[in-house]
Amino acid sequence: MSIVSELAVILLNGLQQGAIYVLLAVGLSIILGTLKFVNFAHGALYLVGTYAGLFIALDVTLSSGKLQEWGYGEFGLGWGFLAALILVPLFVFAVGLLMERFLARSFYDRPDTDQILVTFGLAIVVQELFRVLFGSNSLPFTQPEYILSVIPVSGPMQLPIVGSFPRWRLWVIAITAVLVGIVYLLVEHTDFGLVVRAGTRDAEMVRLLGIKISRPYLVVFGIGAALAGVAGVVGGPLNVVNPTVGMNILVPAFLTVVIGGVGTITGAVVGGLIIGLTQATLIGLPSVTIASFTLNFSPWSQVGLYAIAAIILLVRPQGIFGNEEVAP
Amino acid sequence: MSLLELDDVNAYYGESHILRGVTMNVEEGEICALLGRNGAGKTTTLRSIAGATPPNVRSGTVSFKGEDVTGKPAEDVSAGGISLVPEERRVFPNLTVAENLHLAEVVNNKSNTWGRSLTFEHEGMSTEDVYAQFPRLDERRDQQAGTLSGGEQQMLAIARALKQNTDLLLLDEPYEGLAPKIIEDVEDAVQRISEDGTTILLVEQNAAAAIKLADRAYVVDQGQIVFDGTAEELREDEATRERYLGV
Repeated sequence: MSIVSELAVILLNGLQQGAIYVLLAVGLSIILGTLKFVNFAHGALYLVGTYAGLFIALDVTLSSGKLQEWGYGEFGLGWGFLAALILVPLFVFAVGLLMERFLARSFYDRPDTDQILVTFGLAIVVQELFRVLFGSNSLPFTQPEYILSVIPVSGPMQLPIVGSFPRWRLWVIAITAVLVGIVYLLVEHTDFGLVVRAGTRDAEMVRLLGIKISRPYLVVFGIGAALAGVAGVVGGPLNVVNPTVGMNILVPAFLTVVIGGVGTITGAVVGGLIIGLTQATLIGLPSVTIASFTLNFSPWSQVGLYAIAAIILLVRPQGIFGNEEVAP
Repeated sequence: MSLLELDDVNAYYGESHILRGVTMNVEEGEICALLGRNGAGKTTTLRSIAGATPPNVRSGTVSFKGEDVTGKPAEDVSAGGISLVPEERRVFPNLTVAENLHLAEVVNNKSNTWGRSLTFEHEGMSTEDVYAQFPRLDERRDQQAGTLSGGEQQMLAIARALKQNTDLLLLDEPYEGLAPKIIEDVEDAVQRISEDGTTILLVEQNAAAAIKLADRAYVVDQGQIVFDGTAEELREDEATRERYLGV
């Protein structure tokens, strides 16, 4: 493999890993920017998305957990991946609506710390509930082979320059691009988006204009949740599936938001790509041997995220595309 | 029945008692001025009428067209026909001029009106009419409002109010920080809005400028109404002006 193709693979891996963060960060960022709500339970929505996707797409056999003890160890609808890709966002959208209406709404006027405590608490409750029901063992989320029986989505794909690359990862990038594009159009080119953007700056003035802002707020929360759900579905086959996935993805998702700047979709995209590329680069770089000392980069991939975040925030505390006035 | 009636309104910011039994009326079609020194309670009065919180109105009633609107959420008060142009303009700096104006129309969208009652009588002006009134905004349609000059932002705030469905316009210090030439433009706009039949409650520190336009005036001091009369009477009442307005 030439250096160019190795770099291209790192780039694509970075894009793919970044895509998952982008899906999470877009929702997190518009919820934080518009509703001023710090949602530490956003990872829990990813968790719900992953399990719901698994349940809808495949037949699963549990090896631990209460469901298995009670004799419901065989579960899953086995409707295929496309069904999961369509139904999970709808389901998690509904979960988001319930969460906004019955939890978040009463915390909008409370301090950030209260919001963090209640959402972090919720995240732990959800995680432990999943652990009790589905067990702590990782579940296999097999990559789908075909969508609609004709479109191949698994296995390697030959690309110019890059060479062979897992087809599924390209799909993850493509699905993310399409969804983020849709949300971008929604926010930038519709009346709904106009209210959301105005509300990000001055919610009271929006209300003084006679607009019942709680309605778009509800929808914003739902959309953010749905995107986290999609991230869970498309990310499921790439990572292990167990009850800790939500918490694990929360920190990189928040880093993405602060790097990109709160409340901007562009920021979430750029932030996600920076995080993804940093991670993929550190994992993908070959180890370097200087004299008798071997430097291996991949264990530094987590630290690398914080380092890059720290550097960016030192230069721009409000994030790359952030606005000083809305920076928390 | 007056269009707007405040009866013994007591409003608080946290535990501070700001409005201490304010009673006042605004008649349909007039321009009424509410004057007073900085911190006298002018803005608090307007915010209490518009349903903006804080302040919290703990006792007393605000009624509009005979209906008790005390404690109603701001968006419902606005849907009933009261528009507040708050101090410091409050245009959306991240939106273009056109988007700022369009936002005043979003109120009429199904997604906003569904299940709610909009009971205003005066419909907002069309965008083209507003641009005709403010050619300078027309030239800057696609410019971000945050990049406009202070005077242009004030015009945009007034233009946005023109586009709202307004029966009662609450103007909070519209002349603040504006050059004399721009003040004239704003005065013209206020007069036109009034001639179109919209009632106006104008809050100003600049008493002289406000009295020029107003039919009647109230003077507020330390959260209480200390003068109530026609603009003419206030002009002649030197003692009141000196004591409460410093002019």
